[in-house]
Amino acid sequence: MAREAAARQTLFALRREMARIEGRLAERLAMPAAVSASLVRYCGVVHDDSPDFIPTGAPRLDARLNGGLPGAALTEIHGAGMRDTGAVTGFVLALASLVLQKNASGGPLFWIGTEDGFHEGGIPYAPALLKDYGIAPERLILSCTRKIEDALWVAGETSKLKAVSALIIEIRGNPARVDLTATRRLQRRASLAGHPIFLLRQSSRAKSGGAEPTAAPVRLLLASAPAGLRQTISGPLSGSIGPPAFQVRIDKNRNGLPGQFLLEWDPQTHSFHERPQGYAAENNGIVVSSSRHGPNPAPAAGTLMAFGEAGSGSPRDEPPGKQYAAHRRSRRAG
Amino acid sequence: MSRQENNTRRIAALDERAEALGLKQGMGIADARAMHPSIEILEHDPAADRRLLEALADWCDRYTPLVAIEGKDGLFLDISGCAHLFGGEKRLLDEALSSFLHQGFDVRAGLASTPGAAWAAARFSLPPIDAGKEREALLPLPLAALRLPAETRERVESVGLKKAEMLLSTPRAPLVRRFGKELLLRIDQFLGGIEEPISPRLPVSPLSVERRLMEPVMLHSEIEHLVALLAPTLKNDLERRGEGARALRLSLFRVDGFVSRIDVGTSRPLRDPALICRLFREKLIALEGAIDAGYGFDLIRLSVAAAVPLEEEQADLSGESPDGKEEVAMLADRIRARLGAHAVLRPVCMESHIPERAVLQVPFAGSLASPSSAAFSQSERNVSILPQRPIRLFGHPERVAVTAEVPEGPPLRFRWRNVTHKVARSEGPERIAPEWWLANGEEQTRDYYRVEDDDGHRYWIYREGFYGEETTHPRWFLQGLFA
Repeated sequence: MAREAAARQTLFALRREMARIEGRLAERLAMPAAVSASLVRYCGVVHDDSPDFIPTGAPRLDARLNGGLPGAALTEIHGAGMRDTGAVTGFVLALASLVLQKNASGGPLFWIGTEDGFHEGGIPYAPALLKDYGIAPERLILSCTRKIEDALWVAGETSKLKAVSALIIEIRGNPARVDLTATRRLQRRASLAGHPIFLLRQSSRAKSGGAEPTAAPVRLLLASAPAGLRQTISGPLSGSIGPPAFQVRIDKNRNGLPGQFLLEWDPQTHSFHERPQGYAAENNGIVVSSSRHGPNPAPAAGTLMAFGEAGSGSPRDEPPGKQYAAHRRSRRAG
Repeated sequence: MSRQENNTRRIAALDERAEALGLKQGMGIADARAMHPSIEILEHDPAADRRLLEALADWCDRYTPLVAIEGKDGLFLDISGCAHLFGGEKRLLDEALSSFLHQGFDVRAGLASTPGAAWAAARFSLPPIDAGKEREALLPLPLAALRLPAETRERVESVGLKKAEMLLSTPRAPLVRRFGKELLLRIDQFLGGIEEPISPRLPVSPLSVERRLMEPVMLHSEIEHLVALLAPTLKNDLERRGEGARALRLSLFRVDGFVSRIDVGTSRPLRDPALICRLFREKLIALEGAIDAGYGFDLIRLSVAAAVPLEEEQADLSGESPDGKEEVAMLADRIRARLGAHAVLRPVCMESHIPERAVLQVPFAGSLASPSSAAFSQSERNVSILPQRPIRLFGHPERVAVTAEVPEGPPLRFRWRNVTHKVARSEGPERIAPEWWLANGEEQTRDYYRVEDDDGHRYWIYREGFYGEETTHPRWFLQGLFA
């Protein structure tokens, strides 16, 4: 009896230690019966329904992340420049869609942002969310504040709620307010409440080059990739813009493995799949490279005309492509 | 005080010392100056007088919720049912008069069971008139005690009826015939024969609780503490009525007479004291610095401004509500209390083809069900027929410089936010005609293109106007971002 009790105590101490390392509550750890499942997870084959992970559905990425993105933690998703906002938003929405699919009767999706972020990057558009991601407008609640401090306050209060399915916090640039302490607080709240928090960061390219420190276990860098072609009965339709594609780079990972993946989101089935390696060759090679370096897509039959922004600008005044104006550099707010 | 009247300046109001000098209201300023060159004359400001009277009415809210403004210089207080809180009507009157005196006002007050009698008592310095004794009180008074228009009064006086007792002894029918109904109406209102309602300035809240403080409070934490003391009482009353509060108001009466009112709204009927306290805490944080505590508040009142029936819901054993909607609604209330109504929004789809009008961001209002004005409900919506739309939409489409083929070609390159993008592929056009039935003739047809630039970013660009038909120089806009 006494030996058994001592053994149990050791076991519990070990589980607490494991929970501490993984940054979760000991009560949330899988029961010992599921040991085999978690072993499988490390081998790279993922068939895990536990709420602790959000499997993206792309096997290589899931294996690299130990089974998927953490389901009760903070995940940072960065887009380097303003132009990547579409890709970052699409990827975060895809993840949120996966979470919402899992608990169809669960609570709403909260989206917290600041007015300047929504002004710069646009407002989430409900019809597209419904069509491409299956997120019903009734389940989306937007919170738009004037100051970053207020947005963080709303985020802090919302992240305590167990009734929320997922939380998207949108931050523009690298404000000093969103530092290690703030992310640690969010991470803690997420693990307590048991729902994922996605920290969407527009134009997060830091001045120093590297990303700011974060307490989130996973940080992904997103960039858009040329889309595939629309699939029809008679094969891919040339010149069309198919399902969105994302270039995902693992920047920070709990087990330290980096990686780069090319994912495609299927708006019909609401699921990810990884683009096969030889994809471009399969489709006559016209998807990525040819449009990039080849001639313009449609040979002009009529007369080409330049339509200026205000009617007076001539094409000669245009700056070179990669030039950024002063107001578009990431601002340090707050 | 002087006022302009028919091209002359006349005395509008004057103080006791001026009266002692023999000046009178309505006297010309020039005459007064001639008599006493040293008098000080100020411009009369009726609006400021009115503001002062309203501030006094606010202050009188501490005695009764039914305070009405009478004329230019009077207040009616309906103290039925409130007097016992102050130890009787007489004590209430004394307290009010001494408070006004300490604030530097010269006040006359009358106490009676009808508004008419109280009006006369205040103006003719009568002792309190008990119920049923109005007739005796009225007998010796002149006609001026009856709140009659000056014209009627002059006509009555011109036939020799100068005192109320003469009127009362005259037969009623000839009086009505000769002087109109108002004379008799005023007499009856004085005597209590006709009930006269007073119209209170502020809507009367169905429930309110208050606490009088011996020592004025100034700190927000103390106010919060007092709200926490008041809220449980309110909860009992609400439970008894089977209601929950939809709007709450906290009135803070400052020692020097100023009253601050703090309103909070809730998305669900509410009666839990802890939740009420949290709402007010957010509001107080938001108002940090906006409330001037001055020398402190000596009376705090928490009232329910609007209440709706609330049915009890059975929670499960863990104490959590079945769906968690309540939690979300409560959070939304707190955010709104702190950051304003537009801090929490929910999208509602509308029936419109114009993209920026197809979705309306409305303030979150509690229930997650879509309102009846929404374009489609969840059951009847067919996702597959929805057109392809960007995931982020700019509220105001942004002008872009575009090189395109005329008349109707897709864009080949465009410049947006000072960066030139080369279009690698494009899909379109999707033509959206203006909503002509809204009778705004300035809108033009839009041709939307989905384009991908050579870095793989996808945008939604449209051309406004048919080339050659509606315009010769169409403008191009960028309206959204695709994933």
